[in-house]
Amino acid sequence: MKPCAVTGFGVACPFGVGRAAFLDAARAGGSATPRSAQASQRATLQSFDASAYPGARVVEVPGFDPAKYLGDKGLRSLDRLTKLLVVAARLALHDSGLKRDGAWADGAAETSGIVVSNAYGSLEAITELDRVSLLEDARYINPSRFPLTVANSAAGYASIWEELRAVNVSVSDGNCGSLDAAACAEVLLDQGRARALLVGGAEAMSEALFLAFHKLGASEGGALLGEGAALLVLETPDSARARGASVAGEIVGYGTSFVPPEREAALVHPSPEAMARAIESALSDADVPAGAIGAVVSGVSGLRAFDEAELSAIGRVLGPEIPVVAPKLALGETLGAGGAMGMLSALALMQGAAQFPHARGPAAAPPRDTPRSVLVTSLGYYGNASAVVMRSPNTGR
Amino acid sequence: MLPRVFVTGVGVVSSIGLGREAFYRSLESGRSGISPVASFDASQLGRDFAGEVKEFDARDHLTNAERRRMGRCSSMAVAAARMALRDAGLQERQLAGRRTAVVLGTTMGEATILGELEHDWIVGGVGAVRRSLIPKYGSTLLPIHVARAVGAEGMVLTLPAACAAGNYAIGFASDLIRGGRADVVVTGAAELIQELQFSGFVRLAAMAPQKCQPFDLNRQGLILGEGAGLLVLESEAHAVRRGAQVRAEVGGYGLSCDAYHITRPHPDAAGSIAAMRAAIERSAISPADVDFINAHGTGTKHNDAAETKVVHELFGDRRVPISSMKSMLGHCMGAASALEAIGCVFTLETGTYPPTIGYETPDPECDVHVVANAAQRGKADVVVNNSLAFGGYNAVAVFARPGVLPPAGAP
Repeated sequence: MKPCAVTGFGVACPFGVGRAAFLDAARAGGSATPRSAQASQRATLQSFDASAYPGARVVEVPGFDPAKYLGDKGLRSLDRLTKLLVVAARLALHDSGLKRDGAWADGAAETSGIVVSNAYGSLEAITELDRVSLLEDARYINPSRFPLTVANSAAGYASIWEELRAVNVSVSDGNCGSLDAAACAEVLLDQGRARALLVGGAEAMSEALFLAFHKLGASEGGALLGEGAALLVLETPDSARARGASVAGEIVGYGTSFVPPEREAALVHPSPEAMARAIESALSDADVPAGAIGAVVSGVSGLRAFDEAELSAIGRVLGPEIPVVAPKLALGETLGAGGAMGMLSALALMQGAAQFPHARGPAAAPPRDTPRSVLVTSLGYYGNASAVVMRSPNTGR
Repeated sequence: MLPRVFVTGVGVVSSIGLGREAFYRSLESGRSGISPVASFDASQLGRDFAGEVKEFDARDHLTNAERRRMGRCSSMAVAAARMALRDAGLQERQLAGRRTAVVLGTTMGEATILGELEHDWIVGGVGAVRRSLIPKYGSTLLPIHVARAVGAEGMVLTLPAACAAGNYAIGFASDLIRGGRADVVVTGAAELIQELQFSGFVRLAAMAPQKCQPFDLNRQGLILGEGAGLLVLESEAHAVRRGAQVRAEVGGYGLSCDAYHITRPHPDAAGSIAAMRAAIERSAISPADVDFINAHGTGTKHNDAAETKVVHELFGDRRVPISSMKSMLGHCMGAASALEAIGCVFTLETGTYPPTIGYETPDPECDVHVVANAAQRGKADVVVNNSLAFGGYNAVAVFARPGVLPPAGAP
């Protein structure tokens, strides 16, 4: 792929909202999360009443208050997913300098777009309408809430709220989707379909989502379910330079692979083979030797079979000594947003002093040196896997 | 020079026929697939017609193990993929490899699986939720199941771009080939009608009682449809190497976002105009080269009027023939523009424009050359597939007879 410059980001996640909240928590070893995780078991969650699920392992965006960022008007018709995404979009546009005080810097609305991954849609809105439909009467469902049930609704609202008139692309590939979004964005930028793209993912906490995790035994296994939205501003390096934007890092390689299970009846499939192939093809796409990778931001989340498959593939391609961090152990599994949280974590590592939980043990063991090149990996639930290579700005190949 | 991208096979699961030949015959004859809803009780909703696929039986296309692990939407996608492969003269699993990708569009994917899970939970409580159903939900699964069926080991991706999803998927699939990331992409879209969506469209007052009448003065709205339309796209080199029959060439495509309203198109249609202009420019042709427009044509007041503005803006006084397959199929949401893309391939292969059936009274607000009620023969070198969607999405794709378009240069 051609390198894409990261010129800013916006995030709402269990570390908090905004660049400073994310980087501060990363420097503190993700200490923000255990606090909110404990809190979530005592206090009421914003999104649902978890008291019926003893032992629930859930983290939300702490005290999420969209009005603080978006004002009060028009929020009532939006769901949590949309609010998380629009907040992240607004913060990203301002962080990158594309917008100042709510206004486009130079009429860039026509050339700015969004590529956003989401795995399960607005289960909040679907459940709300299903409740009316099943318990009362389908004729009473609220038509103004109906559009929220459509999978690309949050992305559509993000364009409306932030006036993004170039491409608007929604991507779905489970927990690999954000990394695939980066690959889509590279193509779109290369073809001149946009000059700047907000790229990442969003997933909102809801009782339905938690219930699915819970029923599948993820909580018992120790996995933490999270939520949030993370968007990186990607531009071609030329375009970033032309407007004098500061570049936090670059995405320089992408790889993906699918390896189905051998057993005909199987569906869920942690495939080390797919992960290894995705890593190899990302390295080759970036034209970077395995030895140049200083650290891996993994998707390790506490689901044992998946963690083992991912770590074995990483070890196989990059050797047993490679430092591997697991931000999801602090941020929770954020599914469609997971890869984007991973890319932000990679940026934090490349800035130095970030301490994410180590994937191979309970202690937070940061990479020995500040890494110049970082691999971000995601292993999907069905035999799919994706990987992205990021590097510090001004790193020669 | 970028590689040309060819359509070498198509597969169809639709309310007007299974497989390319049956689908083509129906497009030629103007068969309607719209009938009373049978898959759930719609009698109290005030609307009860849809373009349901009633002749599809998953057992005819899938193994028992496959049927057990997937929902109906994926079943339709897998069946259509198998048909497309056969149509392309490719053996199943001949595609095995990392140079084959699967990129599919949808609006909701396995909506009936989610509907069942929600019913379990809301009516029966947490204990009633069937654990085995959970992993079968998610739009992510469509390309997973298709990749597995055809032996693809490259990218698997869903683009949930609502009612423009087919064009999004086909466009991105063509990018993967032009950019050298894949040799073959199995692409298209699948969608099914689920009760909640049906009720939602009724509540939006967007649904017509029994007929979808695009561009007609008395049009009353859309009729929902469902189905799967899949295409095998190949790089020119790959198609030539194996001596494939080329059905059509995929030209450029255009995308834009209105950033205006979540469900309604912008009244001045600026985004839609920009997308169609981009599709034509990216095909290195001019509007004068376009022979036929496969319309989005939903049959709603807003859509058809906005689309008319696009046609006037792009083509001026030239009355390019335009037709909406939704008059026959209903609005198949995510699958719509994929099935319509296959309609474009039909037009290019047969020199026939599919009809807009049920067209009775011209609307001055929709002053376009509608292919009314009966298929017409005409020049068919270049056709445009228009789509608009929820979220202000606009996606337009150009298809052409192989060799007609100028070679694609670097972007």
